[in-house]
Amino acid sequence: MPLFPKFLQFSRPITARWVRGAANEGNFRRARSLISRPWRLIYWLPLGLGFTQYFYTVKTIRGRSMQPTLNPDTSGWDDIVVFDRYAIHSGEPVGKGDIVALRDPIDSRKMIVKRIIAVAGDVIKTLPPYPDAEVAVPEGHIWVEGDEPFRTLDSNKFGPVPLALLDSKLTYIIWPLDRIGPLRPPVPPVSKRGDPRDSRWYSDIAAFEREQRRQSRVTTRSTTLSQQNTENLVT
Amino acid sequence: MIPPSWLHRAEPTIKGVGLACLHLVNFGLAFHLFKENVGGPCFMAGPSMLPTLDNSGELVIESILPHRLFPNRLARGELITLISPVNPSRIICKRVIGLPGDIICVDPTGLKAPSTEHVVIPKGHIWIAGDNAAWSMDSRDYGPVSMALVRGRIAARIYPFNRFTVFSSAATYIDQ
Repeated sequence: MPLFPKFLQFSRPITARWVRGAANEGNFRRARSLISRPWRLIYWLPLGLGFTQYFYTVKTIRGRSMQPTLNPDTSGWDDIVVFDRYAIHSGEPVGKGDIVALRDPIDSRKMIVKRIIAVAGDVIKTLPPYPDAEVAVPEGHIWVEGDEPFRTLDSNKFGPVPLALLDSKLTYIIWPLDRIGPLRPPVPPVSKRGDPRDSRWYSDIAAFEREQRRQSRVTTRSTTLSQQNTENLVT
Repeated sequence: MIPPSWLHRAEPTIKGVGLACLHLVNFGLAFHLFKENVGGPCFMAGPSMLPTLDNSGELVIESILPHRLFPNRLARGELITLISPVNPSRIICKRVIGLPGDIICVDPTGLKAPSTEHVVIPKGHIWIAGDNAAWSMDSRDYGPVSMALVRGRIAARIYPFNRFTVFSSAATYIDQ
């Protein structure tokens, strides 16, 4: 008789439940579990919200102002990226060249994604819409610009931005797949003689040249201080 | 039969403690998120709002959710809390003096700027000032501040019970 003892053992609770269901008791239990599931979700909501508010969040980027680093004209998609909020909330200083999301100082409901060009204490040569030719970035402020100089609304329009408006730092591109991966710092690509120069090589070189052009407009505090010191010593 | 190791015996305890920690973190986050996005009581310190708010030991109600929902309803004369444009880790409390488009005299007392200097407040910015002009760091020092820095309003003072006040934006305009 016990040819399939395991099967019998397994089948017993199922039949039992079925019988109880007929007695209208299991229905009640099933209904209660259906109600309690959303409640459990709401109960754990703070954990999820806290994670996206203070650690990492995924967002889609609209607009061409960071072209060609993000949303290049060659791609038909809007980039989906990972933003690191912990890097900003933990209070570690932001670096020059980082791409950050910040709240638009003109329209407080909007978020903008820009690159940090200069930090507090630096002197920067501004681009046309700005009234002054050179600006010293004040304490607690940064200078942000888009990578595409003609299609961006950035510090050249509204001046240095207070650090308090910073929201998160861009770390990882997850869509489209041909540019998936962490954000690479612009370094000159090493190429051996005879290597084929593909489109990636050219875009790397272009990014590096843009980075050099940006850096040439910024005078950091340390260099100006050392220059002043030497001048003082000479005089 | 394998004798049960200490790990086997401790497993339910470890599970229980872990779950308890998770519940605790969840409650803490819920409390924090409520305080950051809806509002709640908070202590005030500092001399910059002196005749209105005392130097220390006052408990006020900060309301954040109404400002989150309707950020354009700021009015002149309201008490607001905002993140300091100079130091992002500080939250300051000031009074709204000017809204976008207003022409403001930078410092009528002539302490920090000549009293004839006037500025137009750009779009999306406001002019803030402390009530104690002699000891306040405000827009006279750092200019108009972005509306995106505003956290919420000060709704009422609750702690010294004899000084209970509901703050309202009762700005009186002098027609010329």
